[in-house]
Amino acid sequence: MNVNPEGAKTCSGGGRGGLQRFSLAKAAILLATGLAFSVGVALAAGTQVYNPKTGQWTNYDRTQAYKYYRTHKQVPESFRMQVVKFRTAEQPGTIIIDGNQHFLYLVQPGQKAIRYGIGVGRDGFGWAGIVRVGRTAEWPTWTPPAEMVARDPNARKWAKGQPGGPDNPLGARALYLYEGDQDTIYRIHGTPEPWTIGLDVSSGCIRMNNDDIVDLHSRIQVGAKVIVLMQGAALYKGV
Amino acid sequence: MSKWQSFRMMALAASTSLFAGAGAQAADLVIAMPNWSSGQATANILKVALKKEFGVEADAVEMGTLIAFAGLNSGTVDIHPEVWLPNLDNLVKQYVTDAGTVAISPVGVPAWQGICANRTAADKYGIKDISDLSDPKKTAAVDTDGDGRGEMWIGAQTWSSTSIERIRANSYGYAKTVTLLEMPEDVGMAAVDAAEATEQPVVFGCYAPHAVFKLHDIVRLTEPPYDPAKWQIVLPSEDPAWETKSSAPVGWDTAHYHIAYATALRKEHPEIVKFLERVDFKPEESTEMSYALQVERQDPYEFAQQWVTKNDARVKGWAKP
Repeated sequence: MNVNPEGAKTCSGGGRGGLQRFSLAKAAILLATGLAFSVGVALAAGTQVYNPKTGQWTNYDRTQAYKYYRTHKQVPESFRMQVVKFRTAEQPGTIIIDGNQHFLYLVQPGQKAIRYGIGVGRDGFGWAGIVRVGRTAEWPTWTPPAEMVARDPNARKWAKGQPGGPDNPLGARALYLYEGDQDTIYRIHGTPEPWTIGLDVSSGCIRMNNDDIVDLHSRIQVGAKVIVLMQGAALYKGV
Repeated sequence: MSKWQSFRMMALAASTSLFAGAGAQAADLVIAMPNWSSGQATANILKVALKKEFGVEADAVEMGTLIAFAGLNSGTVDIHPEVWLPNLDNLVKQYVTDAGTVAISPVGVPAWQGICANRTAADKYGIKDISDLSDPKKTAAVDTDGDGRGEMWIGAQTWSSTSIERIRANSYGYAKTVTLLEMPEDVGMAAVDAAEATEQPVVFGCYAPHAVFKLHDIVRLTEPPYDPAKWQIVLPSEDPAWETKSSAPVGWDTAHYHIAYATALRKEHPEIVKFLERVDFKPEESTEMSYALQVERQDPYEFAQQWVTKNDARVKGWAKP
C-alpha cells in the first residue's frame, strides 16, 4: 500500500507510447453514448436507464442521476457491484473497462467477473489500450492541474494538493495506471459524488463509488493488467 | 500474442529465448515451440508422441519463427509444428526450395480469416453478409460513440493483414459506413467479451482456428470467394499510395499451416519423417487446443499427455499405420 507521495494529478493529459490517443469529439456527441442496462439496449441514444415497473427507458443525465440517488440512496441497479457471467481468455485479476456502457469488469475464475459501475470522462477517456496498475493509494492527495487552478477558484486553494478525505475528488482509493514503468497520469479512483456513476463527467479518469473502489482495491494486485476498450464517447475520433 | 499476430507482423521479431541450453542438448531432437497456444500444444503433442511411439526424447523449446527456420537449416532444430502458408512463403522459398534443408509436410490444416459478428449482431440486427456492412441502417447498431457510424476492430497496427482489411473495406465500400479500429488483439477480443456479456452487437476482423469461436457464439460473414484476379494488394511497406493502388472486393484465400522438419531427419529418423507427414490435426482441434491453453490455462505438456492418451489409436495410426 502506498500513501500517495506526490499527489494525484488529474486526468487531463494524453496517453503516451503504445496507448491509442484520440482527439476529442465535438460537443454534440458528448451525451450521445449508448448505455445498456439489459438486453435490447437503446443504442447511440443518450444515457438511459430502464425502469422495469413502467417498461420504459428514461434519460439518465446529471439531474436525473442526482434525483435517483437522493431518492434511493444508491445508483441504479445496473451500476451496482455484481457478479456477472463474463467469458474471456483474459486471466482472473485482469481489469476490463468498457467506457461506452460505464462498466468496469474484474475478471474472476470460472468465466465470471465482478462488474462495477463507473463514471468516465466528459469526452470519453480519449485513449484506449493495455496498461497496468503501477501503484495504489489509500485516501490519495489530489493536486489539480495547472489549467484547472487557473480557471477554477475552488481548485486554486488546493494548488499544492488537497489532502485525502471524504471531500477529496479522488475518493477513498486510487489505482495509478502505468504503461510499462511510465505513469500514464490516468487513474481509477473513488469519488465524493456517487450519483455521477454511469455518467460522462470526469476529466478522463475512471471514477467509482468509494465502496466499490475500496472493494476493487482489496482484490487487485499491483501489476494487474488493465484493458481499456475502444468503446466510449470520442474514443474513435482520429483513428 | 496469437499465431496470427506473430506471423502477420511485418518484421518477424527474433525470439530471445533461443535454445534452453543443457536441456536441448540432452534430447535426441529439438522441436521449435511457437509462443501461441495451439503451436505450444502441438509442439508438446509431438514431443509426447515421439517418446511414446519411437522412444525418442524431444525438447520443445520456445523460439521465434525466423530463428526456428535458421535452426532447421543449420541442424540445431529438427521440427517446427506450425508453419503458416502462404504467410511464410518467403522462408519456404529460402530454405525448402532453394537450400533444400527444410521440408514441409504435405498435410496442412486449413485456416480462415474474414469478418465476424456475434449472434446478436447477426440475428437481431441482420449483419450476416459483408454487404450488410455497407448498409448504414444496419451498422448503426454497432455504433458505440454516438456519431451514427458503426465501429469495427480490424486487427493490430503491426499486422500486415490489418492493412489488407482496410483495403477490403475500401473495395467493398463499407469504409464509408464503418469506422475501422486498429488496436492490439487483446483489446479487440476483450471488446467482444464485453459485448457478449451485455448482449450488445459487435462485428470484428477475425480468423480461425481461434479460441473466440469456442468462447462465444460467433458468426462468419459470408462474402464473395477469393479471386486472384481481383486480389490486388499493395502493402504500406511497398508503396505510400498503397490504399489507392490496391483493390480486393473478395474474400481471403484459404491459408494452411504445416509441420516443417529438417531434411536431415530423412536419413537419421526416416520413421519419424513418415510420422510427421501423416499428422493431420483438424481446425476444430486447434481451436480446442487454443481454448485449453489460453482460456483454461492448462499446462501445455500435461494437456499433450492427455491428448495423446485420448487419441491413442490416431497417434498410433500416424506412427505405424
